[in-house]
Amino acid sequence: MAARCVLRSIWTSFSEIRPVVNGSNFSYLTRACIPQLSFFGNTQCRGIRQVVEKQEGKTITIEGHTVDVPAAPEPPNPAAKCPIYRWNLQNKYNYTDVLLLSQFIRSDGGMLPKRITGLCPEEHRKVEICVKMAHRAGLLPDHKPKLPADHVPRRPKPQLNRYLTRWSIDSVKPIYRTGLKWCKRRMPVGDPVLKNNVRYGVKPLYLKH
Amino acid sequence: MSNFSRTAQQWATFARSWFLIDAKMQPPGKIATMCSVRLQGKHKPIYHALSDCGDHVVVMNTRHIAFSGNKWEQKVYSSHTGYPGGFKQVTAAQLHLKDPKAIVKLAVYGMLPRNLLRPNMMQRLHLFAEDELPEDVLANLTEELPQPRDVPRTLSQYTQEERDAFPRLWTPPADYKMK
Repeated sequence: MAARCVLRSIWTSFSEIRPVVNGSNFSYLTRACIPQLSFFGNTQCRGIRQVVEKQEGKTITIEGHTVDVPAAPEPPNPAAKCPIYRWNLQNKYNYTDVLLLSQFIRSDGGMLPKRITGLCPEEHRKVEICVKMAHRAGLLPDHKPKLPADHVPRRPKPQLNRYLTRWSIDSVKPIYRTGLKWCKRRMPVGDPVLKNNVRYGVKPLYLKH
Repeated sequence: MSNFSRTAQQWATFARSWFLIDAKMQPPGKIATMCSVRLQGKHKPIYHALSDCGDHVVVMNTRHIAFSGNKWEQKVYSSHTGYPGGFKQVTAAQLHLKDPKAIVKLAVYGMLPRNLLRPNMMQRLHLFAEDELPEDVLANLTEELPQPRDVPRTLSQYTQEERDAFPRLWTPPADYKMK
């Protein structure tokens, strides 16, 4: 909390820098201060600030302007608080919808807190599970934690393709004894949280293979 | 009808065609169902269990198959060498690293009928770990079968226009420091 207050004070002080002198030779550099808001591509929703560097003799003035955000299309249900409900997307997204999921994650792949995104707890959990499965399926290749530059993995991991992976890869153990025919130990596929999703087909959903 | 030769019709009916399946990012079970139907000849209207009318199936990219769930770690392949204490159990990941064709081969083998034709049908299954096929196989191919699973696109495969066209679901507060 304290760190956040400090950050905010830095932020406000940064945005209040005014140009000291109206210089003659301006060099306008547009740069995003925020480290890579990758989810909206180039049109960033917020946080794009234009950094203007002006050089007047020996004095360099750096100024940040907030750039106006282009208006987003109107959602079908604007009264709702949760973004998923606002767009009527309940039970309509899965781990393959990376364009949706990437709006709710940080640049290192973790979830943004729901007090910021405004997701209701149920949808937050569903989005979190979908993000996990998308990570394990390799659908979010650029959203990974930054490793130090001199990092060498101890054992190179074999690249095995997988999807609908419910549990963490290191946490599961092989099922050496499947058990008797009427009480077999099955392998979970997908997640029961997403079982109410809309399905366009007649095949039933098998969560245990 | 005078020029119609029954010989040609006979040859065309019972000639073996060669199917190609790309197993990249596909579950091995679905690949195996497609293979076993073609190997037995069950896709033909002339099918009979006693007439050996199966086709050849070429499966490529078996190294790049995809398992759903945690099956790479949980699924276990068991075998017995015949010697005392020779019961071996390996997980799917270990077996795949040892032999990239073994999982598809075992899946197809288990789906074929347990009769004396099974080894003959397995001989008509040609597995390749990568997508490079030898010339004699390439010359025989007649048809490529569609992949059973739709491979989802990763985020980096979407173009910038598609990302921009996707509506923005929420807007962060102005004072939030995005990581």
